[in-house]
Amino acid sequence: MTWSAELDGHSSRLPARRRTRMERRYRRLLTLYPKAHRQEHAEEMIGVLFAAADYDARIRAPKPVGWALRSGQHVADCADLVAGAARIRGRMVLNRVKQATRSGWMVPDRRWSDALAVVSVIAPLLLLVAALAEFHLPQAVASSLTGHPHWRLTATLGLGDLPLAAGAPAVALLALLRLRRLAGLGAIGAAIGQTLLTQGGAAAQRPAPPFTGYSSPVVAFTVLLACTAAAALLISPGPDRGLALLTRGGAVLIGAGALVLGGFSVGGNVWLASPSGFTQGLGSEVTGLPGDLLIAAVLIAVAAGCLRAPVSRRVLALLAIPVIPYAVLWQEKLASDLFGQAGGAAASISSSLPLLYLPPLLLAGAIVAGAWLARRRATRQVSSASPAGPRSAVSA
Amino acid sequence: MQEPTFLILTALAAGAQHGYGIMSDVARISEGRVRLRAGTLYAALDRLKSDGMVTSDKKEVVDGRLRHYYRITDEGAAELAAEVGRIQANAAVAASRLGLAGGAI
Repeated sequence: MTWSAELDGHSSRLPARRRTRMERRYRRLLTLYPKAHRQEHAEEMIGVLFAAADYDARIRAPKPVGWALRSGQHVADCADLVAGAARIRGRMVLNRVKQATRSGWMVPDRRWSDALAVVSVIAPLLLLVAALAEFHLPQAVASSLTGHPHWRLTATLGLGDLPLAAGAPAVALLALLRLRRLAGLGAIGAAIGQTLLTQGGAAAQRPAPPFTGYSSPVVAFTVLLACTAAAALLISPGPDRGLALLTRGGAVLIGAGALVLGGFSVGGNVWLASPSGFTQGLGSEVTGLPGDLLIAAVLIAVAAGCLRAPVSRRVLALLAIPVIPYAVLWQEKLASDLFGQAGGAAASISSSLPLLYLPPLLLAGAIVAGAWLARRRATRQVSSASPAGPRSAVSA
Repeated sequence: MQEPTFLILTALAAGAQHGYGIMSDVARISEGRVRLRAGTLYAALDRLKSDGMVTSDKKEVVDGRLRHYYRITDEGAAELAAEVGRIQANAAVAASRLGLAGGAI
């Protein structure tokens, strides 16, 4: 007797209670399948599974042998359902990866894609500003403007500075040459190099002095900015599209933002006292409260300028990821400026790994989750709107 | 081509069949050696459909359960024919080397 004959002509030999238990188990396992597949084939698959089970129930054998045979086949069917779901889902993932590779790993949402394209112009530039600050170039300019005696052009590079000093100009140059994928890979290399060499530097000194190693806002900024630049260069249309979207006002805002960041950069801080270090110089000899007001004015102008359009709002959110560590640095300076060096130390929140890295990571996670949810909502709206079309046409 | 795929395409080469029919036909073709289970069958059908070798045919309801019929496409038939050619050529070489009747020179 064949299985189809079993299905077409004969009644089931399975007891009703056993059938119910088996069906419940099959349905539970079928939830592992993609929804569309389940909707189309679930009932049919259950029918096939019972056909096979009914066939097994008709095999004549001594009771314990028959029971073992039926149980073994049921377990094998259940395991096969799980394996089938894994195969279908695995193929879906593979197809998505292939599709994404063909389209160059582009972000599907147009506004996020445009925002990333703008960031693919800005982030390499900011990375370059940070690298120039290794040589104290922005500090020298700011120093000549403010008349501060400590700052002058220097070129004292340590091993830990190399990923940024070499990587940032390379990334900016490759982005300028429209080699966005190579530039993106270069940015990833700079981030990894900075992370590894910071680890080496921090391990060399125990206990590590404050504001060094990973607890330095400068290191956090560099690593996070390089990661942001890499993401923007790799999953957006790139600097060409970014430059086409960038307005003159936007360029001015970027320049102002870069000035503030340049002042707050690697190798020392224009906005903070002497190059001898944070602990000695938190008294803000250079600019004090006027410096804070300038920083606040620039940040407010940048934020206000960016909040007006959907794409620039997204640019602001993306750039906030690497800039958050500087907010930590600035609140320390602000506390010092407002309450004096001694009181400021008590009023400020000390820079620490969770404070530097957790908010940027949470923000990045919120951006990814928000973009995904928005896309899902849009897809649902499209799918729920499509059947309404013919109905409304009929009623009209 | 893996054996379950070959047997599913062979089952469909004779005409459109539903899932149950394919399973029983595969058991018959392989003389009971291959027992396709539901998970394997529907994962294979899903892949063959996305590769354009099999397509959905009619649907019918039997005993309250929906049955989909599947049909081999021209592309699937060509692929099956190519596989048959490969198997025949390999079998001929093997038979010849073993000195069996009907082997190639």
